[in-house]
Amino acid sequence: MDNDLKEPTDARRRGPDEGPALEVRNLVKAYGTRRVLDGVSFSVGRGELFGLLGTNGAGKTTTVEILQGLRRADGGWVRVLGLDPQAAGDGLRRLIGSQLQDAALPDRMRVCEALDLFASLHPAPRPLDELIDEWELGHLRRRFFSTLSGGERQRLFVAIALVGRPQLVFLDELTQNLDPVGRRRTWEVVRQVRDSGTTVVLVTHDVEEAERVCDRLVVLDRGRVVAEGAPASIVAALGGETVVRFTDTALDVRRLRRLPGVRRVERRGPEVSVVGTGPLLAHVGAHLVAAGRPPDDLSAHQPSLEDRFLSLTEETS
Amino acid sequence: MAAVHRPGREATRPQLGDGLRHVARLTGLELKLLLREPMVAVGLIGFPLVTVLVLGGVFGSVPDPDFGGVAPADHYLAGYLGVVMAAMGLITLPVHIATHRELGVLRRFRASGVTSSSIVISEIAVGAALATAASCVVLATGTAVYGFRAPEDPLAVVGWYAAGMGCFIAVGCALGSVLATSRAANAVGNLVFVPMFLLGGGGPPRAVMTGVMGPVSDALPLSHVVGGLRQSWLGQTDDPHQLWWPLLVAGAALAASSWLNRRRVA
Repeated sequence: MDNDLKEPTDARRRGPDEGPALEVRNLVKAYGTRRVLDGVSFSVGRGELFGLLGTNGAGKTTTVEILQGLRRADGGWVRVLGLDPQAAGDGLRRLIGSQLQDAALPDRMRVCEALDLFASLHPAPRPLDELIDEWELGHLRRRFFSTLSGGERQRLFVAIALVGRPQLVFLDELTQNLDPVGRRRTWEVVRQVRDSGTTVVLVTHDVEEAERVCDRLVVLDRGRVVAEGAPASIVAALGGETVVRFTDTALDVRRLRRLPGVRRVERRGPEVSVVGTGPLLAHVGAHLVAAGRPPDDLSAHQPSLEDRFLSLTEETS
Repeated sequence: MAAVHRPGREATRPQLGDGLRHVARLTGLELKLLLREPMVAVGLIGFPLVTVLVLGGVFGSVPDPDFGGVAPADHYLAGYLGVVMAAMGLITLPVHIATHRELGVLRRFRASGVTSSSIVISEIAVGAALATAASCVVLATGTAVYGFRAPEDPLAVVGWYAAGMGCFIAVGCALGSVLATSRAANAVGNLVFVPMFLLGGGGPPRAVMTGVMGPVSDALPLSHVVGGLRQSWLGQTDDPHQLWWPLLVAGAALAASSWLNRRRVA
């Protein structure tokens, strides 16, 4: 790849099996005049379950394609398992597994043929029967790819990604065609893959998925990293405010402002919102009971990663 | 979904044997995929077979000066080995490769470490195997209907067959590299194949071509492949048969497809 940056000194001292699984520094890529990656930097430790979260068009897929050596960057420095993806090429791609968005198999290829073909790329692939059981593909062995449902295709792709015992696996929009039950089961298996020692990079626009599954993540927006860290720490950056809501048409809300932790009180018609920190729900509930006006619909809303994600992506739009 | 694997240090550097095993697996599978497509059998076997039987039947088995002094049935039968290769190289192969690209199959292959050379080798092997099988069916059926005429120079027939195969497989790979969708590959393939078939030895004999048809025919690689096959099989022909011409086309097509494949990574 073209390098705007020299190889960092710390990276030069490492052996191929040392250091982070992924290192990305100041990655830049443009398609024509449109800059899709604008100085993206992050690193992923070995054995981590890492998320690349962003809206459509944020630059996630381009980043992954560069990391896999499928696309050249215009600038920046990248190492995957200690190797330069452009220089290592197919040798590196055999060490990593990938489930790609928008990549299919021939319509008339059978499930067992696909697994057998991709297993033949590796000197010591996983036993196919084991993989077939793990991803519940047994009853689909003889089925053509074109006859599989979206969820069945995703399971096949993940099985293909894992067939070569990869050290690092990219899973791009893994659960987009799965029903809620399938999603949860897939998340569980992704955690198991991580627990077995494989580094997992989960590329997703699904905030819930990133929050529930990933140890750590970066949020990409318009080709830039706008947040990085554990999901909880990204949420904490919002300030950790809680919103307590209830309905009361006659309550004097000025007294609520004097409760501990309350920052502001808003009334929209009959709905009252109390914003603040600490055990806000307990204080507001106790106050309403003491006032003899306990509401039926008292609820508290904790800030979520989705709130943070929306605020981050709206800030830049 | 149960317990998962441990990532392996077992995944050591692949050896040459592993590479060959994979290419063999890929080639076998690609062959199966093509045989599962009914249109491949129609285009590669059905069309040349029906045409050669009709033309042989219409013009007969009596030596004719318009056909360079040989029997029209023999003229068409010998030349149609080239027509089968052209159908494979101009339509079957590019449509197959473009379909792979359109569906994201090539992307899937590359992301998994399937090398470009494995893909090219398997396409060459599949193209050669399919065209040879189709040629055998056409020859066997034509011989059963019109009788067998032994080749005058069997080694030269093999040489011209190999040159033609190389030419049209290279053109097929180049078209497959350029054309992004199966519809485009089908349209362009037919647009190139039909006039090449009519003026390149599959249609009227060289002696009855008028106006610009003769010079156009001389420029087509199929004319030279068909001419070479007829010359070596029947001992005489009016068709052009310069060996360097199909080889030059093959070289240009290979260079073009290699350049295009390198550009796709950017």
